Amino acid sequence: MAEISKENIRNFCIIAHIDHGKSTLADRLIEMTGQVAERDMEQQILDSMDLERERGITIKLTPVRMLYKAKNGKDYIFNLIDTPGHVDFTYEVSRSLKACEGAILIVDASQGIQAQTLANVYLALDSNLEIMPVINKIDLPSADVESVAKEIEDVIGLDGTNAPKISAKTGINIEEVLERIVTDIPAPKGDDSAPLKALIFDSYYDNFKGVILFVRVVDGVVKPGTKIKTFMSDKEFDVVEVGTFNPELRPKQSLDCGEVGYIAASIKSISDIEVGDTVFDVDNPTSEPLPGYKKAQPVVFSGIYPLDGSKFNDLKEALLKLKLNDASLTFEPDHSTALGFGFRCGFLGLLHMEIIQERLEREFGLDIITTAPSVSYIVHKTDGEVFTVENPTKLPPAVEIEYMEEPVIKASIYTPPDYVGAIMELCQEKRCVFEDMVYIDSKRVKLNYELPLNEIVFDFFDGLKSRTRGYASFDYEVSGYKRSELVKLDMLLNGDICDALSLIVHKDKAYARGRAIAEKLKEVIPRQMFEIPVQAAVGGKIIARETVKALRKDVLAKCYGGDITRKKKLLEKQKEGKKKMRKLGSVEIPSEAFMSILKIDSSDK
Amino acid sequence: MAGIYVHVPFCKQKCSYCDFASFPKEIGKAEAYFACLYKELKSRSLALKDKTFNTIYFGGGTPSFVEPKYIYGAVKQILTCFNIDKDAEITLEVNPGTIDENKLKIYKNAGINRFSIGLQTANENTLYKINRIHNVKDFENAVELLKDFNLSVDVMIGLPDEDVNDVKKTLDLATSNESVKHISVYALKAEEGTPMFTRYLNGELPSDDEVADIYDFVVDYLDKKGYKRYEVSNFSKVGFESKHNKNYWQRGEYLGVGVGASSFIENRRFTNTESIDEYVHAILNNKVAEVFSEDVVGDDAKAEYVMLALRTSDGVNLQAYKNTFNSDFTFDFINSIKKNLKYLNVTEKTVKIKDDYLYVQNTILVDFISEKQ
Repeated sequence: MAEISKENIRNFCIIAHIDHGKSTLADRLIEMTGQVAERDMEQQILDSMDLERERGITIKLTPVRMLYKAKNGKDYIFNLIDTPGHVDFTYEVSRSLKACEGAILIVDASQGIQAQTLANVYLALDSNLEIMPVINKIDLPSADVESVAKEIEDVIGLDGTNAPKISAKTGINIEEVLERIVTDIPAPKGDDSAPLKALIFDSYYDNFKGVILFVRVVDGVVKPGTKIKTFMSDKEFDVVEVGTFNPELRPKQSLDCGEVGYIAASIKSISDIEVGDTVFDVDNPTSEPLPGYKKAQPVVFSGIYPLDGSKFNDLKEALLKLKLNDASLTFEPDHSTALGFGFRCGFLGLLHMEIIQERLEREFGLDIITTAPSVSYIVHKTDGEVFTVENPTKLPPAVEIEYMEEPVIKASIYTPPDYVGAIMELCQEKRCVFEDMVYIDSKRVKLNYELPLNEIVFDFFDGLKSRTRGYASFDYEVSGYKRSELVKLDMLLNGDICDALSLIVHKDKAYARGRAIAEKLKEVIPRQMFEIPVQAAVGGKIIARETVKALRKDVLAKCYGGDITRKKKLLEKQKEGKKKMRKLGSVEIPSEAFMSILKIDSSDK
Repeated sequence: MAGIYVHVPFCKQKCSYCDFASFPKEIGKAEAYFACLYKELKSRSLALKDKTFNTIYFGGGTPSFVEPKYIYGAVKQILTCFNIDKDAEITLEVNPGTIDENKLKIYKNAGINRFSIGLQTANENTLYKINRIHNVKDFENAVELLKDFNLSVDVMIGLPDEDVNDVKKTLDLATSNESVKHISVYALKAEEGTPMFTRYLNGELPSDDEVADIYDFVVDYLDKKGYKRYEVSNFSKVGFESKHNKNYWQRGEYLGVGVGASSFIENRRFTNTESIDEYVHAILNNKVAEVFSEDVVGDDAKAEYVMLALRTSDGVNLQAYKNTFNSDFTFDFINSIKKNLKYLNVTEKTVKIKDDYLYVQNTILVDFISEKQ
């Protein structure tokens, strides 16, 4: 194949709401450009993690390169850079957008534009991307192509009538999409002869090649032998291999300006590079990094501990590996009296937290205990010292605190009008401040609220889902900090504070939450040989008490003495259950107790 | 000490809590079954010639439901094939309503010297509910008929809608005759697949706390009547402990024959199939009918020994333990002993679970079995 100049390269991503057909369209494009042999074609090729396929969501960015012969007779290279759809991953989205010139916006012909889609459209517009709307699922009986086209114009201000009307599932009009990529999405700009500038938009660790950098070359050229460096690190590396994604790695002689590909440079340590950083040539350096590098700020924190205390190092290794592919994950060693050694981890949001947990369990085979998520608070001490606290156990005594601030978010809730009342009620319970309400059309309302982040890490999503039968969707961004009356709520088991159960809550909620947690713990802590008081306390004052009564009957008291094997098996089973318990003093606590305190719907109380 | 257990898998009708191998509809297979049972006894005996057995126990099902000639035949076969101590305890389980003078004559001739009567409860409503075939009068008749023998009575607690008063009446009835020297008190457990499980799911059964209350009452009440608890579920007048049962708790050897029967011989535990057809088929083909077998040696054996001994009020006899394993119990299980000191009586000669904790022993046992695995 002859070299293709950068005029014939198209770098783009696909923006879509979960389940609107992003992965299916990507599959069709790959199929029709013949990049992947059909027999290798596994459904939804971009979602390579099991977890992604199961949940039907994209978490990691997976670029793929396609060759397309357009109707004008010219050959084109398409680089599709996938984007995660969920609000938690806005940071990853913005990184991948920076590697593109355009974005295909998929809109479901029966559902219209969804909240999260809109958020990503704005991100794309902010990055000066050309947006190419596509109306998908036109084969559905409920498809309403015309009103969706109108909606695209009304809501985003793009021309919806001209948008390709397709069915990614059945393959209708995919050809048109390919042609429109050529005509509508601009070719990359950039200067081949300028000093090298390449954006790292993702990375992963390969056991043979070391760290693999996913890059978009913005200016200049990179090839094996180039000595590279990044702005955030002092280390230099010799490029060993460059190449493209087909979607497996395929080596190439060089990556030129405008291209998307990978760099392998025997980078051993995962801490040596940061995603979002700019790669430059040591021998011909550029002085300016690419704009927009911003360290992702975790907003939700929780403790992760190995179920089996001896697996601490395995957990550490696993987190280090995940961190390589997930710049936004933060963690530092932590210790809890009840849970032993573990890590305090920071996440972009609750989904992100859930995904990390699941990946630790599935990909690394670890059994872990996760504590209730917290947010980071700013503490102003009476002696003038100011610092942030992400772990309730690190909060100084109440007398030393002058006041505290908590993060607040701007939340947009999109809902059919029928549920507005239910949502308003929920928001009232969650200390939300109403801002405004907009009727997008007769079927959808957008409610804007400001609310403490602290409230959504508990049960806001579940509450929203159950009260709107899943119809409402929710976007948020952290908007700043606000002074608030916060207290530390401690849970005592048999008189000892269980640090892993401590929470920071609003003063007015402490009593109800303390009582609810005590009740919940009473349910989940199995009865033991002695009576266990379960207490909630604020500043040393007991505000709620429950009792786990002593065990009365725990014996194999059935007939037929001869079947010893069965008796043994029953005890074995009990032994296995006991192994999974954590100990605080003499009290045994099941691991689910640490998460169950999340599952309290305070509105029931 | 060593015992022989004979399983009789037939009954008139299935009790609603029963998940043992017992098949009311298959009584037509009795002839074939017992023929195989005699054959199994004979073939098992070949490897056991040097052992002496001092207990024989017929359990079921309802051993008194089948024609008495089968029981007679089984005892004779055992006496022919095995070395049986002349003072052997030979027990037959009987259900009230299935025993009469004719049967008794044959049992007597066979050499049965102890009967275990399944009363379960004196509350006739409950008897009906749990699908028992007898009434209170049947029980009284059975005791009257068998009063010259050493008798044991089975009682259940935790039955639907029964409280302490019901159990008190049951115990009064069970102990009304001097010849009753032994009482077994089993807590009902609703096993999946039995009609009782539905009642359990419907919340008709007393809670564990209620059962524990009843159990505490039973221990107390029987003690006053002169029946001492010698194992979690077993009570007797002094000197009338069931030798057959005691052998289990002491980890003695026993041979079990018939469907579903378990054996423990020379460090091997094995269990027969629960299916009559499979059993008959295997035995007729000169095979064993085992569906499970494991060797229990080393630390597993120690753990098992302790798990069984701690069920008894005598607990672990330190000298006996040492004789068996050639090591010290207090050394082998030092951590569990330390951890559970509050719940144990530790003396120079024995370690046992305190009376008050015998009914919550699993938590303690789990520590012990964990220490040796």
